[in-house]
Parts: sequence; C-alpha cells; structure tokens
Amino acid sequence: MPALNSLATRLSLLFALVSTLLLGSIGTYLYHSLTREIAWRDDQMLHGRLERMEALLDDSESIAMLHQRPQLYANMLGNRDSLLWVLDSEGKVLIEVNPSNVPVPTLPMTPSVRFSDMPESIQARLAWHTLEQNGQPLTLVAGKLLNERNQMLAAYRLKLWVALVTGAFLAFLLGWGVSRQGLQPLRRLAEQTNRIDIRQLDRRLNVTGETEEINRLSQGLNRMLGRLEEGFSQLSRHSADMAHELRTPLTNLLGQTQHTLRRERSNLEYRQVLESNIEEYERLSRMIDSLLFLARTESPSSDISKERVDISELVTQLCDYFEGMAEDDNRTLINHTSGSVLANCDLLRTALANLIANALRHGRSGTPIRIYTKNVENQIELHIHNHGPVISPDDLSRVFERFYRCDPARSGVAGSGGLGLAIVRSIAQWHKGDVRVESDVEKGTTFTLLLSINDTH
Amino acid sequence: MRILIVEDEQKTADYLSRGLGESGYAVEVARDGYDAQHYIEECEFDLIILDVMLPGLDGWQLLQLVRQRSQVPVLFLTARDAVEYRVKGLELGADDYLVKPFSFVELLARVRTLLRRSPPREREHFRVADLAMDVLRRRVTRQGERLALTNKEFALLELFLDREGEVLSRTYIASRVWQMNFDSDTNVVEVAVRRLRAKVDDPFPTKLIHTERGMGYVLEDRS
Repeated sequence: MPALNSLATRLSLLFALVSTLLLGSIGTYLYHSLTREIAWRDDQMLHGRLERMEALLDDSESIAMLHQRPQLYANMLGNRDSLLWVLDSEGKVLIEVNPSNVPVPTLPMTPSVRFSDMPESIQARLAWHTLEQNGQPLTLVAGKLLNERNQMLAAYRLKLWVALVTGAFLAFLLGWGVSRQGLQPLRRLAEQTNRIDIRQLDRRLNVTGETEEINRLSQGLNRMLGRLEEGFSQLSRHSADMAHELRTPLTNLLGQTQHTLRRERSNLEYRQVLESNIEEYERLSRMIDSLLFLARTESPSSDISKERVDISELVTQLCDYFEGMAEDDNRTLINHTSGSVLANCDLLRTALANLIANALRHGRSGTPIRIYTKNVENQIELHIHNHGPVISPDDLSRVFERFYRCDPARSGVAGSGGLGLAIVRSIAQWHKGDVRVESDVEKGTTFTLLLSINDTH
Repeated sequence: MRILIVEDEQKTADYLSRGLGESGYAVEVARDGYDAQHYIEECEFDLIILDVMLPGLDGWQLLQLVRQRSQVPVLFLTARDAVEYRVKGLELGADDYLVKPFSFVELLARVRTLLRRSPPREREHFRVADLAMDVLRRRVTRQGERLALTNKEFALLELFLDREGEVLSRTYIASRVWQMNFDSDTNVVEVAVRRLRAKVDDPFPTKLIHTERGMGYVLEDRS
C-alpha cells in the first residue's frame, strides 16, 4: 500500500492507534466503575427496603392485615420496577407487589440478607432474608427489575464507543497535520538535495534554522557531497591527464608512421621507425598496466592474499636488483631493515621497487640511498632516504597524485608516466597503511611507508 | 612441429601464424570455436595456442575437449589478467598463459619452453666462439683469458649462453636472474647487460651480446 510509505501517514496511524488504546482503556475503566457503583447502590436500596419491610411486619399485628392494605406498601415502593414478595415456609405468596408479573422465585432460606440476580432470562436483582414471625419462618424478597439500568448503561456504552471512534479519528487527523508540519524540514531537505546534480557538486545544503536532527543529517550529507566532489574532480582530472599521457605516444606513433609512408624509404629507415614504434607501444602498455594495477588495488572488492613478509629479505633482494644501476652512478644502497609485516609480497615489492627507483632517479650522484626501518607502536616505518634536489612544499603534497610530476619537462619514455608514486600510495592504502614524504636541504629526501605489523585484515 | 592457433582476432592470428611460421613451425589457424574443435578432433598437434574469448565454443570448453583426448601442451592467451582467470585456466589443464598485450619474443620463448617440455638439463660447460664457461668451477674465459664476473653477471651470462641465439626480453631476464616478476620501468636490465658487455665484449674484437631494439638481447656469434 503506497500510502503507508508516507512517514506522515504512518505517524498519524500510530497516533490513532495509541489514542484508541488509551481512550478504550479509560472508557472500559469508567464503564466498569459506574456499573459497580450502580449495582452497589441498588443492593443498598434493596437491603433498606428489606429492613423497612421487616419493621412494617413487626409493627403490624399480622400478615393478614398487611395483606388487606396493599396500597400502603405499593405506594411506598413507588414505581413499576420494584418487586416484593413475602413468602411462607412452603413458598406460598402471602404478599406480592409484582407489576410486571415476574414469576415467583424459589430461594433458599437464609437468616442474613443475601443478594442474587434473578435466574432465567428475567433481568432483575433480588435481596432476601428469612425471619421468624409468630413462630413461622417468613421469607422477605425485595427485587428490582434491571431493564432501566441496563438501558442506561447501554446508552452510556454507546456514548463511549462514539467518543472512542471520534477520538481515534481526530487523533489521526491531528497526527497527520502535526506530522506533516513536523516533517516540513525533511521536505525542504529533499527539495534541496533534488536541486544538486552532477554539475553542481559544489552546492551544499543550507542547515541554518533547522531542527537538530535535520541539522545533523544535512551535515552528514554535506560531508558526503564534499567527498563526492573531491573524488569526482580527481576522477575528471585523472581522465584528462590520462588522455594527455596516452595521446603523447599515440601522436608519435601516428605522425612518425605517416611521415615514413609518405615516400619510399630505405630498409634501415623502416626498421628504425618500427623499433621506435615498439618503444612507444611498450610505453602505452606499461601505462595501461599501471592504470589497471591502480584500479585493482583501489577496488574494495579485490581479493589479494596476504602473507608474512620478511622486510629485510625483501629489501636485500631489491638492493641486489638495483645494485648495478646504483653502482653505475657511483652510489650505494644501504639496507638497515628488520622485522616482518603481514602484507602481499608482490604488492609490497612493487611499492618498494618504485620508491628505490625513484630515489635512484632523483638522488644526487655519489650519495648513498639508505633504507631503514623503525618500529613505532604497532607500526613499522620503512624509510627510503636519499640526497638530492629538495622537493618544494607545493609539490610535496601532490607527489602521490596520479600523473603528477614535479618537473613538467621531465617525461621520458622510460618513466611510468607519473604513476609510480600513485601506485605506492595505492599499495600502502590497500594495506591500510600510509605513505609520507619529507624533503629538506640538510636532511635530504625521505619517503616513508607506514605499515601495521599485526594487520588483521 | 605443428602448432594450432585458435584466435578470432584476424590481425593477431595473422601475425602469430606468420611469426611462428618464420621461426620454423607448421601453423594452423582456427578462427572460431567450432573450427578449432574440428582441428582438435581431426589432427595431431604439438602445441595449441588458445584464446579464451571465442565465438562458438570458448577457450575453457576447447581446453576440456583437448584434455579429454591428449596431453598436448596448451598455451592460453587472455586479455583478462585477473588472478581467477589464470587459476581457472591452469586448473583446467593449461600449461601456461600469456596476458595480452604480450611481446612476440615472450611468446616465442614460452612456445619453445613448452615444446621442450622435459626440464632443460643443467649444463656444465658452454662454448660460443672464443668464450667458454665452466659452470661448476664458476670460470669464464675468453681467448683463454680469465674474466672476473660478479655473481649476477655470471648468472646473466649463463642465461644468455643457455638460450644462445634466442632473443630474451627484459622482463624474462629480470624474472630469471633476479626473480623479479614485475614489469619495472627502470633500466636495471640495460645497465646489467651493459656492465656484462664491458667485461665480456668490449675488450675483444668479436661482439657476442647483441641488442634487438624494442625486443631484448641475444647472445650469438655473428662473425
């Protein structure tokens, strides 16, 4: 039922339900109190009547006399609802006031006053007791027909029902109005959010003057918008950078090949063009690999296994790998690492290889590259330190962005197109770690990979 | 040696068949799954190169078909490099896989390895032109003169000698000499080869280590 999906309708239905329960219980309570009260008073009245009757009998010389003056007590009793019997020990009626012709009840003898509802279908209340009159047991029975009382209670019940239904209905209506009014801020919020589309991610929800709950929700939504905007602008920046980076080799390929085909060339020239093309293809291929790699490590669903990795062993292997390159530049790789982490070995190796290659590429000739670990609480910090040109503070915050290059002029065929450090960050984040960089004239440049030792991923 | 190439992409199939043909193999090309099924059922091959995404029967189905009949080596070509695809291929009985785009040199190397099948015997002595290597005694001489090589240089030269005449790609060299199974954009391998050349080739008139630009390196006597 679609109407039930409205918060206002639901709330007003709940209001109505609560009101019905409340009014119903109050009504029931009042009704029963009244019934009990009336019954008690009736009984009192019947009891009084018995006492008066007894007194009358005491005063009169005999039943027979009373019998002759029925007017006396008929007037005394006063209305058509009243019943009165005086019965002897065999149940024979001596005196009777019975305008409605109710059959004479058969009642047990009792010295004290007893009350009972009339058996059978006649609605009447009886009080009776037995007394000695001139050595004869006489049973006095006073009664009252309940028709009038039942009619009154029925009317009262009806009123209660009407009050209940009206109350519930009013509660529903009022609840609906109040809910609609109360939910107005939500409606405004919905209108505001509806106005934000992909081109206006910079818009924020106006939170001034709203209730606390709405305020908190709006703030949460605003923060989400902030993250979306950031991610979105990053994505479009990446796409633009990526298109640029991919176009460069494609332009070379297209231009060079077309130029070569314009006229006949020597075999050597063809060969040179083809060889140059291979280099461009490799560059393209590497870039696609890197992008895929980033996409995979950044995808939250990617399932990559972890194992315990001995850092020292891994760095030794990498030092061994880069040793030739370092020696070529009259440099040394110093390995001062220890400890182990729970990580994906291949990813960690790639990250470290990128950092070492980066240090080799940007460090000054003849200076060593130091790789060392520090244990800080539950984390292991892997530092890769080199001496070289200082990275400016502006660049420091951006070196891990994709396609970002400190020096825009430097974009060699050999490079990964500015993705190396982005890959390092992505790997660090995949391991729930982080990567940092510090650069300073005195101390040189240090890249730090932070990994938690006991990652229970 | 007969090789069946199952590949629906025309250009890929053409260059693969031409390239392998020039390397001395007899090549048949199947352009879709049913074509391939026919070949597999009718003919005997020494190696099957199988693309995964195919019209008709796909690569997985063909692989099962092949495995019901014989133990011929199967090399998978796949554009998807997700681990589960590799694992699935290998579990179904493929012998090796290559992720597109692959270099032809790489493919050729894998084909040769698969066709060799039995693990290559560890050789103890190599001789190419005036270069000699005694693996057990870790001695390398040229024109009878002893060359002092570092461990890595020795390992690299041993790899070249073992694969004499074959073009070895940079990634292959990195994975064999340093156990580095990732495509690094650094010139580590170039540097290592240059340093090896400085000791093995530079002082001598005959050059043995040659650069195949864009493909890799090869050791052979071209004099």
